[in-house]
Amino acid sequence: MTYFRLLRKNLTRKKLRLFLTIFSIFTAFLIFGILKTFDSALNAGIELAGADRLITSSKVSLIQPLPFSHYTKIKATEGVANVTHASWFGGYYQEPKNFIVSFAVDAQSYLEIYPEIFIPQDHQENFLANRQGVLVGEALAQQYNWKVGDTFPLISSIWTNQDGSRTWEFKVEGIFSDPEEKFDTRSLMFHYVYFNEGRTGARDTIGWLVIKTESPEVNEAVSKAIDEQFANSPNETKTDTEAAFGKAFLEQFGNIGLIITSIVGAAFFTILLIAGNTMVLAVRERTNEIAVMKTLGFANGRIFTLIILEALILVLLGGLPALGFSWVLIEALKGAVGGALPPMTLTPEIFLQAIAYMVLLGFVTGGLPAFNAVRINVAAALGRKAL
Amino acid sequence: MTSLQQIIAITVMNMKGLRQRFWQSSAAILSIALVITVMVGFLSMADGFEKTVAGTGSDDVVIVLREGSLSELTSGFSLHQAKLLSTAPGVAKQNGEPLVSFELYVIVDLLKKSTGLSVNAPMRGIEQTSLKLRDNVKIIEGRMFEPGRNEIVVGHNAREQFAGLGLGEMISFGNSEWQVVGVFDAGGSVFESELWADAKMVQAFFNRGTSYQSVRMKLAGPESLQEIKNFAEADPQLNVEIKTEADYYAAQSKPITTLIRYIGYPLAFIMALGALAGALNTMYTSVLARMGEITTLRALGFGAFPSFVGILTESIVIAIFGSAIGLVLAYVFFDGMLVSTLNGASFTQAVFEFSVSAKLITHALALSVVIGFVGGFFPALRAARMPIADAFRITQT
Repeated sequence: MTYFRLLRKNLTRKKLRLFLTIFSIFTAFLIFGILKTFDSALNAGIELAGADRLITSSKVSLIQPLPFSHYTKIKATEGVANVTHASWFGGYYQEPKNFIVSFAVDAQSYLEIYPEIFIPQDHQENFLANRQGVLVGEALAQQYNWKVGDTFPLISSIWTNQDGSRTWEFKVEGIFSDPEEKFDTRSLMFHYVYFNEGRTGARDTIGWLVIKTESPEVNEAVSKAIDEQFANSPNETKTDTEAAFGKAFLEQFGNIGLIITSIVGAAFFTILLIAGNTMVLAVRERTNEIAVMKTLGFANGRIFTLIILEALILVLLGGLPALGFSWVLIEALKGAVGGALPPMTLTPEIFLQAIAYMVLLGFVTGGLPAFNAVRINVAAALGRKAL
Repeated sequence: MTSLQQIIAITVMNMKGLRQRFWQSSAAILSIALVITVMVGFLSMADGFEKTVAGTGSDDVVIVLREGSLSELTSGFSLHQAKLLSTAPGVAKQNGEPLVSFELYVIVDLLKKSTGLSVNAPMRGIEQTSLKLRDNVKIIEGRMFEPGRNEIVVGHNAREQFAGLGLGEMISFGNSEWQVVGVFDAGGSVFESELWADAKMVQAFFNRGTSYQSVRMKLAGPESLQEIKNFAEADPQLNVEIKTEADYYAAQSKPITTLIRYIGYPLAFIMALGALAGALNTMYTSVLARMGEITTLRALGFGAFPSFVGILTESIVIAIFGSAIGLVLAYVFFDGMLVSTLNGASFTQAVFEFSVSAKLITHALALSVVIGFVGGFFPALRAARMPIADAFRITQT
C-alpha cells in the first residue's frame, strides 16, 4: 500500500465524521474570512495615515466650520511644511441613497499633501485649470460610468448655490486611483473656490485642515502651537496626528465593530477547538493500529509524518473552500450593502493569514496525537487491546 | 416490559451515564453553550439597537427638514420659514396655539467614558413646546433648564456614556460654558443619548443666527400628514421634506440595521451550523463508543425504538444544558450593557442597551432543542437500526 493510499484510507474510514469535521472547519474559516475583511475595511482609515500629517478641526466638533483665516495663520506656524484644507459637501447623485463622499479642497496643496493620490499628469493639469472640474475616484467613476470630459450634477444635502438650488454642476477632469488602495476611491473632490463663491451661506469658512509637518518629530510641538494660537478665540481648534484622528473617528463606530469582531472571533476559536478535539480523538482511537504498524517496521518518522499530513489535509479541505466561499459572499455583500459600509476586499494578506492559521491548526491537531503515537509502547498498546 | 417502561429505563440509564461521560459530552456542551452565548449576545445588541434607535419617534408627530437633507444635522430653516410651516392646516392646536417645536441639532465633542476618546455627542436646542411633542420625557433628577441661561439637561444614557455630565458639573464647548442642571428619561428612545438646551442659547453660541434645523409638528388627525404636505408643496418658499418622526428614525438607523442584517445574521447562521456539526460529531463518537452497551441492551430484549428515544433524549438534554450555560453567560456579560455607536446620517452617537429579553431566551432554548434533536436523531437511528450481530462486530474491532 502506498503512503498516499494509506492516508486516504485513514481519512475516509469514517466518512460522516470526515464530512462533519471538514464542515466545522469550513464554517470557522468562512467566519474568519468575512470577519477579517470586515475588520480591515473598518480599519482602512488608520492605514492611510501619514506619519507627518496632522489634522486640525474645530474644538467644538468636526462639523463646526473654521474661518478661512485659520488657513493663512497655520501656514505661517513654525514647523509647518505645507497646509491644505477641505470642506464637507455632503453630496449625492440623483437621490439621497446614492450618497457620495465628496469635499471641496484647495486642490494644489491637497494633491501635494496626499501624494498617494495618483492622477495622470494631463488629468492633473486639466483639473487645476478648470474651476468647475472634479477629480473622481476610480471606484466611483466605475460605479456611475463617469469618464473624463463628462459633466454631471451633484446635489448637496447642505449647501445651496446662487440660483437657490442645491444642485451643482461638475465636469470630470480626472480620475484618481491609489495603487496601494488606501485612499478611498469611492470619493470625489473639487475646487474650494468654485464651491465658496457659489454657496449662499457660511462663506469663507473651511471644514478642516491637513498639515504636513517638517518631520514627524515636530508633530507634537506643531499641534500644540496651532491650538494655543487659537485658544480663547471664538474658533478654538483641536489638532491631532492623522493616525489619532482616524482612530478616534473609527472609535465612533466603536462598540459595534468591536462587539461583532470579538464575539464572532470567539466563535471562530471555539469551532476550531471542537474540530481539533475531534481530530485528536480520531487518531487516539487508532492507537493499537499504530502499534501494529510499528511492529511491522514502520519508522517513527514515517508515522509522525503520516498523521501530521492527515491533519493538514483535513484542515485544508475545510479551510480552502471556505476562503473561496467567503470571497464570493463578500463580493455579493458589496452589492447589497452599497455605501453603508467601507469598501471590503478579501486581500492577499488575509488569505495568507488564514492559510497560516490552517497550517498551525493542522500541526497542533496532528502533532499532539502524532507525538503520542511515536511514543507508544507497542507491547502496552497491543496489550490494552487484549483487555 | 412495555415499550414505555423500556423507554423510561433506557432514558434513566443514559441520564445516569451522562455524569460519568461528562468530559466526553463536554465538547458538545461547550460548543452549544458558546454558540448560544454568541448568538444571544449578538441578537440582544440588535434588539437593543432597534428598540432604541429605530423605535424612536411617534407616528403622530412629523419632522420637517429642508428638502434633500439626510438628517437634522444638515437641514436648515430661517425663522420665517419655520413660522410659515406652523401655520399649516393639520397641525394640532392647544389653547389656540399650534403644537410645533423649532429645534437645532449640533454636534459637540465629548469624551466617551469607556475609551477616553472624544466622540460626536448630539446636542439639541429645544423650546418650551418641544416637550409637549414628547410625552415620554420626564426629568428624573434635578430640574429643567431655564430659558435664556447656559444650562443643559442630559439624557440618562448620555450621562452614563460620556464623561463630565454629572448633575451640577460645568462643561465647555469651544468658549461657551454650560451647567448640567437635570437628567431626563425619554422612555428608552435615542433622545436619551442627547444633551438639551434652550434653542436661543444654542443659536447664540453656535453662530446659528435665528435659524433652526428642524420643525416638529403634532398631527391633528390621520389625514393631517397629507394636508401639511400639500400646504408645503403649494408654497414656493418652502422646500421641505416631511416625514413622521417614526419613519425618520427608522431611516436614520438603516446603515446599522443593514450591517446587522447582512453581516451579523449570516455569521450567526454559519456559526449555528458549525456548532451543529460539532454536536453531531460528538454524539456520533459517543454513540459509537457505547455501541457495545446499546447492543447488549438490545440483545437482552430492549426494543430498537426505546434505544432510539433514549439516545435522542440524551442528546436533547445535553443541548439544553449547554444552552442554559450559554444563556447564563450571555445574561451576565451582555444584559444591560450600555454601548454607543455612530448612527448613520445623523453622524452622532446613539447610546443603547443590550437587552436579553424573555423572547430571546425562548428562541435560544428552542434552537438548542433543534440542535439536540438533529444532533441525536441520526446517531440514534443508526444505533437502533444496526443489526445486533453487526454492532457486536464493530465493537470488537
